[in-house]
Amino acid sequence: MKTVIRNTTIADKLLFLILITASVAGIFFSREAMPQGPDIVITVDGKPLYTLPRDKDRLVSIPGPFGDTVVEIKDGKVRVKEAHCPNRLCEKQGWISRGAIVCLPNHIVITVGGKAGDLPRGIDAVTG
Amino acid sequence: MQLQDKYRIAVLSAYALSLHAFESLLPTPIPWLRLGLANIITLVALVLYGFRTAMTVTLIRVILGSIFMGTFLGPSFMLSFSGGVASTAAMGLAYLTFGNIFGPVGLSLIGAFFHNVAQLTLAYFLFIQRVEAVLFITPVIILIGTLTGVANGAVSGLLIKKILQKNGENIQNDKAD
Repeated sequence: MKTVIRNTTIADKLLFLILITASVAGIFFSREAMPQGPDIVITVDGKPLYTLPRDKDRLVSIPGPFGDTVVEIKDGKVRVKEAHCPNRLCEKQGWISRGAIVCLPNHIVITVGGKAGDLPRGIDAVTG
Repeated sequence: MQLQDKYRIAVLSAYALSLHAFESLLPTPIPWLRLGLANIITLVALVLYGFRTAMTVTLIRVILGSIFMGTFLGPSFMLSFSGGVASTAAMGLAYLTFGNIFGPVGLSLIGAFFHNVAQLTLAYFLFIQRVEAVLFITPVIILIGTLTGVANGAVSGLLIKKILQKNGENIQNDKAD
């Protein structure tokens, strides 16, 4: 070990420090830049219906048994703007930037930052 | 090329190939993570016998290694080839221009860095083609490469020292040509 340390030059140590600092900073920076993944996926009846980029603001309306559900994407966040189901829990959940909004009566699942393959494989049962 | 050079290249290539094969047997936590043990031989060849020998050994190792593993001309061969050539070229350039400013550890770090950069660039153009995925993974790979690069450089340094102690007078570095 001693010989190894004696064998390294100042340039070696400097290079090592630069590489370690740059890569650790890069890891943190890239985590910071995209903490939740790039896409918003809207699934209806267990099938992914829309995959939308989160950086583009838009309104999507999705037909369901209780009428159209309006999903709004703005500033990288997503919410259910308008729903016509009995409880309207999805509407009350408000804006999310990670995780999921589930609207059981309309069979809609909105997930942020996942691939289509990561989604739950459908709904076991619908209650209420 | 003299007979002695051919003999030397053959022995070094054999070492590099066996290390290359050995490390592909080692289980790693992430499938694409490699220790780059063969780089030890490249570095020793570069410092003791010069750039030409190092590049020849690298080319023989990459091509024969992929033929033995059955990946010749496949995607993993292309990645391995580009990484090997880029890292050897970078180390050779650094050694020829900066001389003894960088020790074996520094050269190994340079090699590891350019190995990863070349592979990531090629992987981006050939396979992934998603900028954010490549940018996301790059610092992680550079960090791992730096750590393994230090270890390989340390081993190379010890090896070079031992060989020079044992038969220093028999070694002629063809650095001049």
